[in-house]
Amino acid sequence: MKKRIPAFILAGFMALSLAACGTTPASTAPPPASQPAALSAAPSGEKVVIKFAAQGDSTPATQAVLDAFNASQDQYTAEWMDMTNDSGAMREQLITSLKAGSADYDVVSLDVVWAGEFAAAGYIDPIDTYMKDAGLSVSQFNAGSMASGKYSAKQYVLPFFPDLGILYFRKDIVSAEDAAKLESGDYTYADLQAMAEQYKGQEGTTDGFVYQSSQYEGLVCNANEFTGNWQDIKGGLEEMKAMTDSANTPADILNYTEGETANSFIKGQSVFSRNWPYQWGSVKAEGTITQEQVGIAPLPNGGSVGGWLLAMNKNSANKEGAWELMKFIATEEGQKIMSTQGGYLPGFNATLEDADVVAGNEMLGMPGFQNAMTTTIARPVSAEYSKVSDALQQAIYKYLSGSADIDTTVTAVEDALKG
Amino acid sequence: MIGTKKSTKILSWGVIILFLAINIFPFFWILITSFKPSSEIFGATAFQIIPNNPTLQNYTKVLFEKNILRSVFNSFVVSSVTTLYVVLVASMSAYIISRFRFRGKALLMALILGVSMFPQMITVGPIFNMFYQMGLLNTYWVVLPYSTITLPSAVWIMVTHFRRIPLSIEEAARIDGCSTWGTLWRIIFPVAAPGVFTTAIMTFIAAWNEYLLTATLNSDAYYQTVPVAINALRTQFEILWGEITAATIVVVIPTLLIVLLFQKQIVAGMTNGAVKE
Amino acid sequence: MVKRMTFKQFLFILPLLVIIAVFSIYPIVSSFVYTVFDYRIYDQQYSSLYVSSSFNPARFYENCDYIVYYLQDEATVVDEAGKAEIQAISNEISAFMAPYQNQTQNQTLSGPEAEKIESFIATIGQRLNTVYNQYPNAEFYHQEDMPILLEDMQKSFIQPNFSGISNYQRLFKDARFWGALGITALFMVVSVSLEFVLGMALALIMNKAIKGIGLVRTTALIPWAIPTAVSALIWMYMYDGQSGVVSNIFAAVQLIPAPETMLSTFWGMVGSSIISDVWKTTPYMALLLLAGLQTIDRGLYESAAIDGSGTVNTFFRITLPLMKPSILVALLFRMLDAFRVYDLLYILTRGSLESLSVYAYKLMIGQGYYGYGSAVVVAMFACVAIIAFVFVKVLGAEVVGNDE
Repeated sequence: MKKRIPAFILAGFMALSLAACGTTPASTAPPPASQPAALSAAPSGEKVVIKFAAQGDSTPATQAVLDAFNASQDQYTAEWMDMTNDSGAMREQLITSLKAGSADYDVVSLDVVWAGEFAAAGYIDPIDTYMKDAGLSVSQFNAGSMASGKYSAKQYVLPFFPDLGILYFRKDIVSAEDAAKLESGDYTYADLQAMAEQYKGQEGTTDGFVYQSSQYEGLVCNANEFTGNWQDIKGGLEEMKAMTDSANTPADILNYTEGETANSFIKGQSVFSRNWPYQWGSVKAEGTITQEQVGIAPLPNGGSVGGWLLAMNKNSANKEGAWELMKFIATEEGQKIMSTQGGYLPGFNATLEDADVVAGNEMLGMPGFQNAMTTTIARPVSAEYSKVSDALQQAIYKYLSGSADIDTTVTAVEDALKG
Repeated sequence: MIGTKKSTKILSWGVIILFLAINIFPFFWILITSFKPSSEIFGATAFQIIPNNPTLQNYTKVLFEKNILRSVFNSFVVSSVTTLYVVLVASMSAYIISRFRFRGKALLMALILGVSMFPQMITVGPIFNMFYQMGLLNTYWVVLPYSTITLPSAVWIMVTHFRRIPLSIEEAARIDGCSTWGTLWRIIFPVAAPGVFTTAIMTFIAAWNEYLLTATLNSDAYYQTVPVAINALRTQFEILWGEITAATIVVVIPTLLIVLLFQKQIVAGMTNGAVKE
Repeated sequence: MVKRMTFKQFLFILPLLVIIAVFSIYPIVSSFVYTVFDYRIYDQQYSSLYVSSSFNPARFYENCDYIVYYLQDEATVVDEAGKAEIQAISNEISAFMAPYQNQTQNQTLSGPEAEKIESFIATIGQRLNTVYNQYPNAEFYHQEDMPILLEDMQKSFIQPNFSGISNYQRLFKDARFWGALGITALFMVVSVSLEFVLGMALALIMNKAIKGIGLVRTTALIPWAIPTAVSALIWMYMYDGQSGVVSNIFAAVQLIPAPETMLSTFWGMVGSSIISDVWKTTPYMALLLLAGLQTIDRGLYESAAIDGSGTVNTFFRITLPLMKPSILVALLFRMLDAFRVYDLLYILTRGSLESLSVYAYKLMIGQGYYGYGSAVVVAMFACVAIIAFVFVKVLGAEVVGNDE
């Protein structure tokens, strides 16, 4: 073997060896070279930095809220700690940090289904006293969001933005009669299947209905809706399977997450889609179709409650500042920005009636959306939610992909729901 | 007879060319995709080889907005540090193992071999706890547990190399009054330089490719290495194949360079210890 | 002329010993210990290994604090006598909880102290009940919250969570574990067999046709050298149900019923992950076997040719037996590697196809079940030991080189 490449290494060792031979030997190995710990930038100025952990926002809303907070404050300045957009990965990232007792984040945003676990594990602080001191009561906020963050008689969260599963349909394809039926919410998945069949192919669409069926949390939301909050597990799952196998859904529906769903709908490939309210904004921002072509309706058995919450890291070094930021984002001013600039649903009830908000957020004025807000259904509430959800995903995905029969699946789902 | 030989040869070359094509095709394909605007990644244009409107937008996005170079830097830091200390520790031990008699040597070798065999998952929980208690999560200290995947094979390769060096070389050195340390540094190391270099390359690649430990111990994007960071580009709400393929091209370049420059050392490292001579 | 080691030389292997002890032996031993505890990191009562009872003062204090805080609201809806009683309860709680303020470490309590706290909780519960019963018509704010707080307060007592062999018993009844074991074994056997056959064929061809061509070697090394996490992502794109080039080609040649099956059906996922693994590791196998082939004395082939032995015959009579040692070692290491497959499946199939490593990771990191997850890992460890044992003792793989 030629020694051409390692020549420089050889030279290095020669230099070392000279020193080694001349002096007394037997010195032990130097410890492995270490790296300095965190290199994170020191806060500039005198303001205390409040770190806010949240996922990237495809709308300008989150940044606008933080800017507004910073403008309103002379004591604190909020810094956005960008989290991965993969919810599962973000949860692990948060847990790693919070379990370690680090103060990397002062305020954390949590998916609604994580709050119970985070509270049970003792990662976040209850906020009742802060709320009382600020003159806020639980009833001023979105009930579903607040309920998901109440654990052992203590309130742990404020809503960042509530979310709910809704049906989007193409107004320019669906007949006025059917549109009215959809908007009223008085229809079934079988009706939807029939409509998907009927309208598919018009205006260049290739698919009837798209929704989320990949093996992840979204599958639990969708199954929750198909089964009517697990009231009719067998019927709902069979309906879902029929939908999967039919030609009205894309062939790879079992790999669909929100991304694929939105991609299909906003590019005009599908007539119906089940997604969260954010898709309304995506239509405007990136769609080849326009918002005028889109209608919104409740899902047949109601839409799953989703969305994000705000909570305070138990080990935050600046709890007062953390509370100020939480309060700002979750009340009038913050929620108004979230709603008008990002199209998010306000979690502060008074904001729902704000004239600017109603004018700036077309969805809130749509009858189909208003109906959807009255028929929401929750996912199972558990301090061990990740276990419940994982078991549900396993069982349902197996059935949908054809490797388990319906009876086994129903039993598995029932077991999973028992916890 | 000659005819069959010729046809065998053509067949052989055919197989080899097919093999190379299969090896290269995925890279070729993602390279194409990385230049496509998002409108051409889906639908009919997805299988078009020449993009209609080639763009560098995916690259500017991952380089300047998603900051993929940060993860390349992190990978360089952890892989280099791992390589340095692993080569040092491995060569010291390999020297003793190949040159001295001591009780429990067979046990030590079996232990090293055992470490290289067990599933890495078994260390993840306890190491997470250890790092958590010592406050080392989200730091570059992740290089220390990298030793479980790199050190055993490093020792193994080094022992093979050191054993090939004739003892007579050291005799002269010892007469000159060199200590064990001096002999190792001044005599053995230069002679074994190709082996040392092979070990370094193999260690570097193994550390560069490590996923499980960094994913678990360093969840903060600031410390994420290439394998973890590139997977964080996959999102739930948008499909970003353009950016992912561009990032893949960027992060594969260092590996490509290493392979191009050091292929001989790599092959030597792969076959060392695995092939009896 | 091999010399005995002295203390000075021992210092040379000390760093190795320390590193292996701290980062390999200690974690393995810890994992074994975890398996005999009901250890769940996301539940405060189980979030450590408790061999004796202890007490979480912070949790106790927080709940006391909440009762006092809620009592302020309750006092607004009762008459003066009730207010006085509520005040008395508040005062008693405040006095009792004071010593536990700002204590973050769990403590070991003496028997009497534990009893004192137990009876305190019971007394407070009774007195609160009395108040609530006394004013059946008052519109209390927190009547439903109080029992929950008291229950949570009870959880300040941490019981030992030593659980003996129950985690192992659970393994036997866990269908997901057996499923994951089956998937792992299937993946290991099929992909290593394919890699071996293809790698052997390539090695034989390269041994004949190629005389040290660097280009072949370089391209062969690329799939092996890039991170599995990156190649998994590349394949994920190529298997995509709509725009995946590989899935569409496979469907076009009728290899699979439709493009989307590769990443959504069970067998599709098994097949696609095996293909990705074979793509990545066949070159490695080929180069390894090629090196083995090159050590075989050419003279043996020549004498075989003189004897009139056919190509196939020569391969089975001469090549294979002579290469047995390197083949066994290569197979052993590849099998162990395939057995611990994690990143490929976790990324390519988003964890839908569960190998033992993926299942263990989901249990431990995803759901916080360190005790049970460790039992899964220890089972993996046992499987690895069995595979290695079979190779070394039964098949005679010489993994440990001769010493002198």
